[in-house]
Amino acid sequence: MIDFARVQKELQECSRDVEASGIKVTPKSDNLGRLTGTIPGPVGTPYEGGTFQIDITLPDGYPFEPPKMQFATKVWHPNISSQSGAICLDILKDQWSPALTLKTALLSVQALLSTPEPGDPQDAVVAQQYLRDYQTFVGTARYWTETFAKTSSLGVEEKVQKLVEMGFPEALTRSALESVGGDENLALEKLCSG
Amino acid sequence: MQNEEQLTCKIEDWANCCGGVDDDDFMQKQSSIPLLGDKEPLSTLAAEYQSGSPILLEKIKVLGDKYAAIRRARGDGNCFFRSFMFSYLEHILETQDRAEVDRIKIKVEECRKTLQGLGYVDFTFEDFFALFLEQLDDVLQGNENSISHEELQNRSCDQSVSDYIVMFFRFVTTGEIRKRSQFFEPFILGLTNTTVEQFCKSSVEPMGEESDHMHITALSDALGVPIRVVYLDRSSCDAGGVSVNHHNFVPAPGNLPSASSASSESINPFITVLYRPGHYDILYPK
Repeated sequence: MIDFARVQKELQECSRDVEASGIKVTPKSDNLGRLTGTIPGPVGTPYEGGTFQIDITLPDGYPFEPPKMQFATKVWHPNISSQSGAICLDILKDQWSPALTLKTALLSVQALLSTPEPGDPQDAVVAQQYLRDYQTFVGTARYWTETFAKTSSLGVEEKVQKLVEMGFPEALTRSALESVGGDENLALEKLCSG
Repeated sequence: MQNEEQLTCKIEDWANCCGGVDDDDFMQKQSSIPLLGDKEPLSTLAAEYQSGSPILLEKIKVLGDKYAAIRRARGDGNCFFRSFMFSYLEHILETQDRAEVDRIKIKVEECRKTLQGLGYVDFTFEDFFALFLEQLDDVLQGNENSISHEELQNRSCDQSVSDYIVMFFRFVTTGEIRKRSQFFEPFILGLTNTTVEQFCKSSVEPMGEESDHMHITALSDALGVPIRVVYLDRSSCDAGGVSVNHHNFVPAPGNLPSASSASSESINPFITVLYRPGHYDILYPK
């Protein structure tokens, strides 16, 4: 049985200092068992400027068992699968402890972006490139950040712009877009209906 | 939680002056037993080694002079904490020592402050603290939630209670080690070559990480509870005959249950665990 009372406290704690940490956790549904984490790419890395989304699934034994986390945003990194987004990180496996939280786990994932460990790879192709041709690795990682970790936010701005031009107030437009998961047409329907 | 295989790889034979050998079949039998077993006569321990080392059989015979029974803990890496949990609560249940309960509650509050001071967020540990305090109240008789010995055993085998209390002890241990990091640092460096913080993160806080000298010292100091560890291994140090070594972990002065300034020798811990390389069980004196 997931300790939902604790998850609730974690979400509150996380939202309190979202400004400082940049780390966000939001539930995907009402039952709190599935969440989305958001981390900013660390400054001074090829991930800088990107916003990375991470799918979080809480196992029944949470917080005694680690949360399952994988990147929903495609990312080029030796310890993250470029195919599935699976993350190779000890605290998400046998080094997990109930003393950790979703936020501290996401901070560790963010730290992993800054300090890849190609000696213990999740993605062998990326790790090889990192070790043999570092410059190409940096270029690829940066390109993936530009392509996959920025489009969603750019896209949103464009949609907001469009709807605002149709005459809807910006704040309302943003919340409408957010509530329908970014679908422009659904947002328009929502704005028109009400 | 770790599997048995990982566990056996990690055995640190720190306690053994003559460099013992670990017993592989022993670990494999563990997964079939409950988190905490029934109290068994010491003869069942001898039966386990019938076809094994003669030194161990000799030692078990020697153990029999002072100890009557054993209660086995599952070898899941939490066996020391689980043994400590049961032994302590059983002691309170049997003695109804309210002064000791009052004393340890003060220590528990100190541990809470230690964790807060170290920057641990309350919600990460408060449930574990609350559940331990609840057990303390419940083993005292005379209130509506009072429990029997049988219920104590049931709870100790119920993973949802048992693991919470193990985690409580892990928090207490990590808090003590980090609070006194200067004291623990040389030992940690010698054993693992990591920092105190890293040691706590990787060897104290995760469930299933085995306890050794440092964990026991820290827990004993933090809660002010003396612990005796009796060592059963294949070493035979003295030529004059087989003997069984033990070590008393005695809390730093001021932390003792009674205010006496007793030395390690005159202290008679009410918690005794039997250590076999990589594993702890509860031992009952005669």
